[in-house]
Amino acid sequence: MQDYHEFLAEILIDKQTLQKRIRELAEEINRDYAGEELLLICILRGALPFLVDLMRHVTVLNAIDCMAISSYGAGARSATGNVRVTYDLQTNIEGKHVLLVEDIVDSGHTIAHVLEMLQTRRPESLKVCALLDKASRREVVVPIHYRGFVIENKFVFGYGLDIDEYYRNLPFVAVVDLEKYKPE
Amino acid sequence: MQNYTDFIDEVLVSAEDIKKRISELGGQISRDYEGQELLVVCLLRGAITFTADLTRQLTISHELDCMSLSSYGMGHYASSGNVRVNLDLLTNIEGRHVLLVEDIVDSGRTLAHVLAMLRTRDPLSVRVCVLLDKKMRREVPVQVDYIGFDVPDKYVFGYGIDIDERFRHLPFIGSADLSKYIRPA
Repeated sequence: MQDYHEFLAEILIDKQTLQKRIRELAEEINRDYAGEELLLICILRGALPFLVDLMRHVTVLNAIDCMAISSYGAGARSATGNVRVTYDLQTNIEGKHVLLVEDIVDSGHTIAHVLEMLQTRRPESLKVCALLDKASRREVVVPIHYRGFVIENKFVFGYGLDIDEYYRNLPFVAVVDLEKYKPE
Repeated sequence: MQNYTDFIDEVLVSAEDIKKRISELGGQISRDYEGQELLVVCLLRGAITFTADLTRQLTISHELDCMSLSSYGMGHYASSGNVRVNLDLLTNIEGRHVLLVEDIVDSGRTLAHVLAMLRTRDPLSVRVCVLLDKKMRREVPVQVDYIGFDVPDKYVFGYGIDIDERFRHLPFIGSADLSKYIRPA
């Protein structure tokens, strides 16, 4: 894999800014769910670092579950079309307060489908916490209750977001210079 | 519902010690795989915190995949018996260097099964990195290449590890005083 320094256009959100905002989001969540029990759902694999850092600041009683989804047809799961659950929740969410933790909301199709599907399981409440919101790309209305950052429509990577499966581990969110990036 | 302060016996590993040790492990792994491409496999759900923090300390480029397992028969997958794959890897590991990241090894049965299963897929290498090693509980020999901490045979929770699905979010590893712990209904 090419060294990311070679195709890094800019660091969009640095580590300190990310961590500060995540702490704020957690404080908001703690206030909103005070006295309740919360199930945090990590949408694999992109939301992993976000969930882990977020939950460290969550002080209300909580449980963690994971879910993996893909789209039928097209390769990328940001495509339109139905959602396929490749790994479902271990938890029965009926009667539970559920917070879906997602790395990025783009067109909104995937998250809209997931919300619809989870709603059929009659949770007590169902909300969305997204680190990044590419609001300009939205094609369907999706309620985002907790939003880290609204970003422009650029190819971003780092902090859970991959570029051809690499560099999810970077502690910041960065923009790819597509002219300099050479896929293998 | 109890808070963990009601039943904690002691903090076995502090948040600072975890951070320091993970930084060391990240350095060691980065050196060992220098010039290689690595696939890091996170075993759900216990290892998510460890994996997120460990991979941030890796200086080599790598991919990340997840896997979820349970055992047939018994409820908890730390039991004996064959392993059932709930979520398999998206990545084909043939010809790849694979590093399995696990929160805790006790009997070693689950890990031994997973290793045997993954080896049938002809990876170039498979190594194991565990945060906690309960050596005295080992029932089958299993190779563990990177170990965070040796821990005594106590009921542990925190840093990704749950006690009845709760308290995974705590930044430290605590041990539970089971005489004070009330199992949720």
